[in-house]
Amino acid sequence: MNKKLFASFSIVLILAFALTACGPAATEAPAATEAPMTEAPAEEEPATEAPAATEAATESTDATEAPVAEGVIEVEEGATIVFSGWGDDTEQQVYRDSIERFNALYPDVTVDYQPIPADFQTKLKAAMAGGTAPDVFYVDDQLMTAFGPTGQLLPLDEYMAEAGVSRDDFIPALLSIFTLDGKTYALPKDWGTLGLVYLPEAFADAGIDEPTADWTWDDLKAAADAIAAKGTYAGFCQGADWARFAPFAFGAGGAYANEDFTTAMVDSPEVIEAANFIAGMKEDGSLVTAADVGAGWCGEAIGKKLVAMTYEGGWMVNYMRTDFADVEWKAVPLPTGPEGKADVIFTNGIGVNAATQYPRAAAAFAMFLTGRENQGEIVETGFAYSTHPDQIDMVVDPNDAAIAQGGTFDLTRVAYWGPNTGKVNDAVSKALERIYLGDQTVEEAFAQAQEEVQAALDGQ
Amino acid sequence: MTVTTPPRRGFFNNPRARQEALAAYLFLLPYLIVTLVFTVGVILFAFYISFNQFNLFTWPPEWVGLDNYIRALSPKGQFVRSLVNVIWYVIIVVPLQTSLALALATLINTKVRGSQVFRTLFYAPSVASSVVITMIFWWLYLKTGYLNYFLTQLWAAFGAEWTAVEWLNNPRGLIQLIVQAFGGDIPSSLWYLRGPSVTWMAIMFQNIFTTAPTFMLMFLAALQEIPPPLYEAAAIDGANNRQQFWKITVPMLRPVILLIVVLGTIGTWQVFDQVKILTAGGPLNTTLVPVYLIYSEAIGTNGPPTVGYASAMAVLLAAIIFFFTYIQRRYIESGTESF
Repeated sequence: MNKKLFASFSIVLILAFALTACGPAATEAPAATEAPMTEAPAEEEPATEAPAATEAATESTDATEAPVAEGVIEVEEGATIVFSGWGDDTEQQVYRDSIERFNALYPDVTVDYQPIPADFQTKLKAAMAGGTAPDVFYVDDQLMTAFGPTGQLLPLDEYMAEAGVSRDDFIPALLSIFTLDGKTYALPKDWGTLGLVYLPEAFADAGIDEPTADWTWDDLKAAADAIAAKGTYAGFCQGADWARFAPFAFGAGGAYANEDFTTAMVDSPEVIEAANFIAGMKEDGSLVTAADVGAGWCGEAIGKKLVAMTYEGGWMVNYMRTDFADVEWKAVPLPTGPEGKADVIFTNGIGVNAATQYPRAAAAFAMFLTGRENQGEIVETGFAYSTHPDQIDMVVDPNDAAIAQGGTFDLTRVAYWGPNTGKVNDAVSKALERIYLGDQTVEEAFAQAQEEVQAALDGQ
Repeated sequence: MTVTTPPRRGFFNNPRARQEALAAYLFLLPYLIVTLVFTVGVILFAFYISFNQFNLFTWPPEWVGLDNYIRALSPKGQFVRSLVNVIWYVIIVVPLQTSLALALATLINTKVRGSQVFRTLFYAPSVASSVVITMIFWWLYLKTGYLNYFLTQLWAAFGAEWTAVEWLNNPRGLIQLIVQAFGGDIPSSLWYLRGPSVTWMAIMFQNIFTTAPTFMLMFLAALQEIPPPLYEAAAIDGANNRQQFWKITVPMLRPVILLIVVLGTIGTWQVFDQVKILTAGGPLNTTLVPVYLIYSEAIGTNGPPTVGYASAMAVLLAAIIFFFTYIQRRYIESGTESF
């Protein structure tokens, strides 16, 4: 063995790491567009109006018994498509059932479901680079930014027109994340948002009223102070996380970037105001992190009865049911900020591999999964919210329904800032981390974040 | 480390020698093909890609010249930051793990009763996968974990109170802590003066704990190769244990020390698992290391994959490792020759 071999050996190791995708990426909850969800996205593509036959099925909340909502399109003979997504057993069952329903419509298409529960994005990028990616798969903002501009995703507009699926069928804010140059590269399969999740017994213990939908930031702080002062429970749990901070920034009228994703906005007075509010609570001890109280995340801190309040989403319903069935918890919509009510939306879509052998069958499957009929079935299992505006009211669990209301607020946005969204959001998390650790003041931290976000938006 | 070549016998005139050589190459062929495709080919490809912008999917890549290298070496960039972190790591971990390994090996080699048991015990952490060990340390290092619990009990035994430390989320540097003890502080703009962070040192400790036993075995094997008459002669001449250790054991172990220092250095430059599992480069980038940075850029953790940039960093890292290995070899080997 000589020196050169050592060097080559090391390069190989490095490349082995770099190119074979041996580990997960720290993936975050995905996010979508800058458009508030009440606004329609700018779109020019040939999305035809849904034909009358489609309309008939969409009115009632009883979509499960509706006739075939989206028109069945002609597909390749003997098509076999591979479908992959992440998810635990519950989610996998939801999609196995969906495939069964799909096969009732398309008996000749074989769907090979290959779930990838961990490191989904990393594995999918590696598979795509190697030409072995599935035909149909989940697309989040990370995969959209990697696959969309590079032409790895099949534009679905043509097939949507054929099947009578319109972009207007979906909640607009959700779709814009999957839209590039006027083309639709994936269809939103579900979405989530945050609510104020709380432990009623902590409020009884401190002798104060439980949260309501009319709460403001000040009420949140006053309650957290009172509970922290009592000492039985910690007040409000929130980590240094761009997603949990977003409702505060939006509620103060701020954003992380401007409308066309060219200028960083994180040192704006609005964002600073939101950060000061958080930093103030952190400083006087009414805000804690999950690690402070010995939990893995704030939802777990609620389950373990360590904190009184936190911002979490609809995933709490299943989580509490499985892990903390005997703990009573409740949820209300997020407190109102200085500029109004705001929340943040996450969404994931279903996309089709541009290299698929059976584009028609794959597109048909993607449209079926995200269609009204199938989502109507899924929403009744309590697994996820439907991406069709007329199915929002179908959410069954009362806590979940309260959380879902966040999606309708005027200032609610998707924390999507263009192709470099990941880096932008990461810079915000890092700024919060510096504040939490007492390393920088709010102004210093967000001045630095402003530079980092700007560099990210500039593509550096 | 020299390869002995057989004496030339007129290869082309000797059909038998030719046949033998052919057979040899035939047997080597599977390995050679694998090496060519997965080692040499990959290295050349990475080198080529490092001058391009490449997103994993679009072929051909876009030629950008030295842009990736310039970006990697910019003083405010993350790569420089990761290099500073890993240099601290190498400087602290390599000497400590080498001396710990030597000390353990020497102790076990004394053939005290139960040395077999100790050998097994010491070696156990090296048998487990590094991911498993890392998960165990995660439990130890949690704010509500065993280390803080143990320290709380220990402090309480002396009537003091231990404030729980967030071992895995503490960006304060070693030098910064010393300065803070005197009432000062080092601002984050001068991060490079802060020294390795508490979290980084916690990971260093784990790495030493995991790696030292492997090297201990190598030392142990080398120790048993040292001819006993050397020690007997030294003892007759009146050399005590310490003199024997420094004048016989250490010089006789020089080649093994070289090997272990070189392997240790390369290993530490490439630290990855612990960072990936425990910190993802945080807090405040104080545990960001080159291989993790290369990995996250190549796979595009926070945006589209930038394989060209990642390859440029990989080439630079390889050059750096090559350089340090070369220096170490010259330094330690020249010592061997003088001995």
